[in-house]
Amino acid sequence: MTRDELNAHRLIKEAHEANARLHSRRHFLKESAMGLGALAMGSLLGSCGDLFADKQTKIAYDPAHPLLPKSPPLVGKAKSVIYLHMAGAPSQLELFDFKPELMKMDGQDCPPSLLAGKKFAFITGVPKMLGPQATFAKHGQSGALVSDNLPHFSTLVDEVTFLKAVKTDQFNHAPAQLLVHTGSPRLGRPSMGSWVTYGLGSENQNLPGYVVLTSGGSFPDAGKSVWGSGFLPSVYQGVQCRSEGDPVLFIKDPDGMNRDLRKASIEAINKANEQQYQEYNDPEILSRIAQYEMAYRMQISAPEVMNINDEPAYIHEMYGTQPGKACFANNVLLARKLVEKGVRYIQLFDWGWDAHGDSPNNSLNIGLKNKCRSIDRPITALLLDLKQRGLLEETLVVWGGEFGRTPMMENRNGIQNPFKGRDHHTEAFTIWMAGGGVKKGFTYGETDEIGYSAISGKVDAFDIQATILNQLGFDHEQFTYPFQGRPFRLTDVAGKVIREVVA
Amino acid sequence: MLEFFGRFHPVFVHLPIGILLLACICILLTFKAKFAGLKPAIPLMLLFGTLSAIISCFTGYFLAHSGDYEGGLVSNHQWMGINVAILSVVLCIIYKKVKSKIALGIMATILVVLISITGHLGGSLTHGSDYLTAPLKSDGAKGGAAIPAIPNLQEAFVYQNAIQPLLKSRCYSCHGSEKQKGKLRLDQEAYILKGGENGHTLIKGKADESELIKRILLPLNDEDHMAPKEKPQLSTNEIALLKWWIDNGADFKKKFKDLPQTAKIKPVLASLENGENNAGEIKNSGIPAEEVSAADDKTLKKLADASVIIVPVAQNTNYLSANFVNAQSMSKDVLNLIKSIEKQLLWLKLENSKVNDQTLTAIKGCKNLSRLSLNNTAITDTGLAQLKELDQLQSLSLVGTKVTLKGINQLKKLKNLKFLYLYQTNVTKNDLAAIKKLLPKTSLDTGNYKVPVLVQDTTVVKAP
Repeated sequence: MTRDELNAHRLIKEAHEANARLHSRRHFLKESAMGLGALAMGSLLGSCGDLFADKQTKIAYDPAHPLLPKSPPLVGKAKSVIYLHMAGAPSQLELFDFKPELMKMDGQDCPPSLLAGKKFAFITGVPKMLGPQATFAKHGQSGALVSDNLPHFSTLVDEVTFLKAVKTDQFNHAPAQLLVHTGSPRLGRPSMGSWVTYGLGSENQNLPGYVVLTSGGSFPDAGKSVWGSGFLPSVYQGVQCRSEGDPVLFIKDPDGMNRDLRKASIEAINKANEQQYQEYNDPEILSRIAQYEMAYRMQISAPEVMNINDEPAYIHEMYGTQPGKACFANNVLLARKLVEKGVRYIQLFDWGWDAHGDSPNNSLNIGLKNKCRSIDRPITALLLDLKQRGLLEETLVVWGGEFGRTPMMENRNGIQNPFKGRDHHTEAFTIWMAGGGVKKGFTYGETDEIGYSAISGKVDAFDIQATILNQLGFDHEQFTYPFQGRPFRLTDVAGKVIREVVA
Repeated sequence: MLEFFGRFHPVFVHLPIGILLLACICILLTFKAKFAGLKPAIPLMLLFGTLSAIISCFTGYFLAHSGDYEGGLVSNHQWMGINVAILSVVLCIIYKKVKSKIALGIMATILVVLISITGHLGGSLTHGSDYLTAPLKSDGAKGGAAIPAIPNLQEAFVYQNAIQPLLKSRCYSCHGSEKQKGKLRLDQEAYILKGGENGHTLIKGKADESELIKRILLPLNDEDHMAPKEKPQLSTNEIALLKWWIDNGADFKKKFKDLPQTAKIKPVLASLENGENNAGEIKNSGIPAEEVSAADDKTLKKLADASVIIVPVAQNTNYLSANFVNAQSMSKDVLNLIKSIEKQLLWLKLENSKVNDQTLTAIKGCKNLSRLSLNNTAITDTGLAQLKELDQLQSLSLVGTKVTLKGINQLKKLKNLKFLYLYQTNVTKNDLAAIKKLLPKTSLDTGNYKVPVLVQDTTVVKAP
């Protein structure tokens, strides 16, 4: 056999195998009455088993148009969400949670009562206490305390609700990030953005409903699972876009392929898929067709919407963008553009907030200050820009990390770190929200006098998820998806809407 | 010890209710020849029923004297219960001797009535006298707002207008005139100050040391937590209000304005004034109270075919939201379709679309419209005239249009307008005072915010 013949032979064999693989299961179902009977029985039992079905939120899932906009169960105050996640966990003690008592204890040995029975990511033995490494002042009419690390943002405290007593039970980045975004510290659950696009669809049919933008030079530790769709149909996973170069990789037609040819090829593929659907009636094939069509439309609209260069110079100056570079400011400006165009859920990750004190870039006095400088202008501009366009009313902006940082200075392996830094801390940290029907100039929750643990207004990831869903018009307890024989929800069996912060 | 037996009362009472009721029904049934076969069982039923009725009487007596219950309801229940027992004893003795169907029938019927009344009274004792009828009342005593809105708050009485209604809805059912769990009554000033079997209820000026607050703040699973786990709980605002009242001397006469109002309590008081003491409760706020008929399907289909995103604002309403984000280059007639859904249209987004002063006439009759965005369209003052009558508008966004003060002046009827966005329009800062006068309740936003450039924005901190 010649080489070509051999290749052709292999190809045909592979095609046969692929076909047979498809066929075997379908064949079985098609041909065997038993299998069909069992299936029918299953669906019959399923339909009479769920006593609470009428109470649960009904989501009309149309596989041919999975992203068509849907009504929420109740009138929501917010229509879209921008979630700004500072991956690595920013220190609440250098930003929002001012503790003068801690300053007095600076340099002293940590009292044993704070260490007994506790586990830390790195701290071993007896660490020293570390006073606030920033200067705080009261701002605005609400008198919220913000440090001099965020001079621009501090002018906007009267637009914001601070949650100062957020708790988590995960002290490593990846599980903690998963918990914040998927409601479980382990892999496999759908992310909040997937739930939201599953429940509400997308306002703009030419753009993805759930967009993810990353900056800081690295992905979040939890990887892409943190915007995955888990057991929800895959069309609801976050679409990662970029603020430099092509907004979506491979979105341009390849050289030599013009638009008409692209259209013709997509039509041909869809026709083949339709035939396949006629034969098997698998709804996922319809989703596939819809996705091809959307991808085709996106080729036109995405580059236009996602190009921040057509924004006027004063807007660029306001956000402090760095044209041509991948940076947080560019992503934030892009987020505003996307919200304006009806994108439902925009998730930003900015990596590099893990101020342990093991290197200058990971220290509270150098690295953290520079990270703050890189976000202070953009987040301030985002809130102001949304406000002046009348979008802040219906856009919920959330800012936070995955956990907090210890009031103690980190001593890795018992040896004090060379720079000022803090270890991961689960018992208290700060998250803020703005717009989307939450209170303005409000602070909820308190920590003790050294910021070690929450003493009132404690909330956790589930409560925050429940609140976000509430603002979008969902009762988080009724918003479920059937999987593996039971209805699943984002907040699983926990979560309570933080009614105190709802305007 | 007697109290121990008394606690069996709630268990035992169900026996006479069940057995005696069944016996009475059987007596009535045996009058029909078809059921005559039941006769031999009846004396036995009556015997067991009577015995259990007597036991219930005794246990009930012990329970009533344990002190948790006092007042008229208990004595009514007690005497009705004793009547049941007496009548069942009589019936038990004479059943075999009396041959008159009528006499037996009357006695059985009376017994059924007596049992029903006694049972109801007993139920009222355990669950509260309004337990049975609560679901019929529209305000739903459970979980609803405990304190009705207090419009002129500063002039209102703290105890009479806020604290008392709160105690009434959350505490009276166990600590009121009908029932005094732990020998505590909270329905009158003297009783509140007297306290219960564990001593004081409140210490004036010291909320944190007051038993009342302590118990409310105990973890939900604690046995002493109040209100009991299965009963409606106090909201955070309600607890804050109680604490504030006690901290300031727990005075029964003072008005709100007489007590110091810290920044912390102010939002709570504000929510009292608005009747939102369950602030954030899921409700369909933002849509008109009156529901509309469903929109015409054909129109909706036509709009959808023209790429207009049109969906109800929520699943349980016919009010609609329309977004032209994918239909920016719409043809002239598309907007005209809106005329047939003008009653239903609540939110409308025409941002960046081809709408102009002329085609905007289509929305003239959208009387319920509450949010409208015309950002970056060719609308001018002429077009704004179409919005004159849209007095339900709450949010109007005119960013990037050519409108001027003259155009805005036509909007004086929009008394419900909360937000007006005028960024990048021809309305200048000098016009704002005039608009403020015209629409005093509206918050105006002319945008054009600047973020000043600070040293920090352009430099980085370097390692020493």
